[in-house]
Amino acid sequence: MPETQVADEMNFRPSAHVSIGVELELQLVRAHDLDLARDADDLLARLAKRSLPGAAKPEITESMIELNSGVHRRYATLADELRVMRDIVVKEAGLLNLRVSGGGSHPFHDWADRRIYPTERFRAILERYGFLAKQFTVFGQHVHVGCPDGDAAVYLVHMMTRYVPHFIALSAASPFYQGEDTSFQSSRLTAVSAFPLAGHMPFVRDWAEFLEYYETMRGFGVVASMKDFYWDIRPKPEYGTIEIRVCDTPLTVERAALLAAYAQALVAYHLAERPREPARAAYQVNSFNRFEASRFGLAGELIEPYERRRVKIGEDILATVSAVMPHARRMEAGDALAELAAGVRSGYSDAGWLRARYAEAGSLLDVVREASAAWAGGRDRT
Amino acid sequence: MELSFLPHLPFALSQPVLFGALLAAGLLAGEALNRYAHLPRITGFALAGVLLGPQVSGLLDREALHTLRVLIDLSLGLIVFELGFRLDFAWLRLNRWLLVTALAESAFSFIAVYAALEYFGFRPLLAACGAAIGTATSPAVALLVAHDMRAEGQITERMLLFTAVNCVLAYLALTLLLPFLHLEHRATWPEALLHPLYLLGGSALLGFAACVLLLWLSRWLGKREDRQFVLLVALVVLTIGTARILNLSVVMTLVTLGMLSRNLDYRHALMPLRFGYGGQLFFVILFVLTGASLQFGALWTSGLVVGAFVLARFLGKALAILLFGRPSGVRPGGAGLLAIALLPMSGLAVVMVHDTSVLYPAFGRELSTVLLSAIAVLELLGPLGTQYALRRAGEAHPGRGGA
Repeated sequence: MPETQVADEMNFRPSAHVSIGVELELQLVRAHDLDLARDADDLLARLAKRSLPGAAKPEITESMIELNSGVHRRYATLADELRVMRDIVVKEAGLLNLRVSGGGSHPFHDWADRRIYPTERFRAILERYGFLAKQFTVFGQHVHVGCPDGDAAVYLVHMMTRYVPHFIALSAASPFYQGEDTSFQSSRLTAVSAFPLAGHMPFVRDWAEFLEYYETMRGFGVVASMKDFYWDIRPKPEYGTIEIRVCDTPLTVERAALLAAYAQALVAYHLAERPREPARAAYQVNSFNRFEASRFGLAGELIEPYERRRVKIGEDILATVSAVMPHARRMEAGDALAELAAGVRSGYSDAGWLRARYAEAGSLLDVVREASAAWAGGRDRT
Repeated sequence: MELSFLPHLPFALSQPVLFGALLAAGLLAGEALNRYAHLPRITGFALAGVLLGPQVSGLLDREALHTLRVLIDLSLGLIVFELGFRLDFAWLRLNRWLLVTALAESAFSFIAVYAALEYFGFRPLLAACGAAIGTATSPAVALLVAHDMRAEGQITERMLLFTAVNCVLAYLALTLLLPFLHLEHRATWPEALLHPLYLLGGSALLGFAACVLLLWLSRWLGKREDRQFVLLVALVVLTIGTARILNLSVVMTLVTLGMLSRNLDYRHALMPLRFGYGGQLFFVILFVLTGASLQFGALWTSGLVVGAFVLARFLGKALAILLFGRPSGVRPGGAGLLAIALLPMSGLAVVMVHDTSVLYPAFGRELSTVLLSAIAVLELLGPLGTQYALRRAGEAHPGRGGA
């Protein structure tokens, strides 16, 4: 890659305001037997002819598509846009006899059946990573939050690491995998952890030091671009954002928008008040916290790295929501956070909802059917 | 010295010996053809049947074929059930162009074949009967090739859906032509009118009753795939037997059962049927026996008519899909492949020809030999077309070359 192109990719483009945007990886399911389909290409071709706000893109296997929202300053417009996109996608998918579903994993598909989407990049991933690539047929939500500059982005990645368990617990929607109850709230993250470049950003002080690290890794040939780091949170200089990547795709677009509102309020709070300075401890407890959140969800315990104490993840979310509420209100997302907090108080999770459907109907087929109905907006999920 | 425990010569060929031999011969021929010639296994099954059948070696004579007819019915019954189960009304409701394409595909091939047969001097009534039979695609070939290649995607789904629709329409058309055959056969008006009514109404009613029973028992059994499969086989056999006792159409009854089971299962009690190792048995035996009943005689005497029949049928299907496929969501280039995938004819068509000629000798020796020859061609070559189309469409599982 020529030098100028690299410089361009790593040139941090400042984002005004604390803007938000999301990427949602979605499951394409056959109506016939509710297993994963492989019609991403046909569906994307149809979507290309519709005036879809945002964008629809292929993902690693032919059973997935990814929706990208536009850039939003307010939660409400993001939620509206996501609903419009959802309706179009559900309608077009229906014409191909496909169902679309949220959730972090398909409950019973066989990973060996998956087929890699035929682009050069995805083929290269299959070539390099072998079965990991096909097992990567898991479905996540990425939340982008705009940052004023590279230094702020580095600071925010360090800060948001403390909240990784929050995002995992709030989005958890992959209790079933390969036909079994995994006992995890989010089993999806274990599929991500297997990649050698998974994990977190190193503890760098500022953007300059980050660039130094990046150039070193590139010099070794470990990475070719930022895309090769599968970190939980990573800076995205070309968008001028930090990208939180630990969420399962929730069962509804409404919940996806709520998660974005929460991320936005957290970032706004840290930019405005700078309540803490980065500490290595946040990374030292990270894997423990991450495990607790994926395994137990809201009921798990996290280690608070700054005050060095243990606290229930659910309680910690409620305390955090109160702390960031003034900023959320300033950005017209007060109601969104109140809704999120109400769910935490009642112990709601998408994973719990999926388990309840299984207990009720006795078959994972019904879990998929109900989840795709929930995605299409056909069911009340409270 | 007379040893009383030794069997007497000559050995009597018992049913189990015959059955086992057929199964082994079919399986090995299919495997060999696939391994050494990269042809679909189905073609091998059918070839084994041809070699064993009265046309060549005569190991399977007409009498044996007749006694084994129950196996054809059973295999075909399961396959036709699965086909009906694929007929998803919700999809047709959602995608109207798909419905239009499916109907046009049947209508156009009917018209094209009718025109071709009439051109060659068949009476309109016979031409219409031939056209009705020609409308149907072989459900067994479509299902087995898709299954063997682990094909998935829009072309595969549509091939199965269109096959379901054209089989139903072919049967409907043939049944509605019955009164006219009756009249030619100098039956009375009431008999001519009541017979199709009895066949259609009775088959639908029996299918409905079996469906209610299937759904009810499935709910009671719970969502266990293995148990539901046994239940399904039991009910399919029971339904076939009842349909035969009542002189109803086995195929119509089973299609109805499959169709209603999919579309009336509001509580989602039924698990989708998966043909495992057990399913393979039915497929092999069906194709071997169909192969044994194929007739090539007319190929030499009336090859031209047979050729015209095959060509007209293909053009009808292709034209309809080319005209209406795009708005229904067939990707560019997919229409031709879909038409090729729909080429095969086989066991179902043989059964239709036999049933009709048994009921009405007036059906004509000449037409049935033409039809059986066309079926012979499409039974052996059709699977190749289907395999080619699915692979070309990129829907076969990579690494699953031969079917």
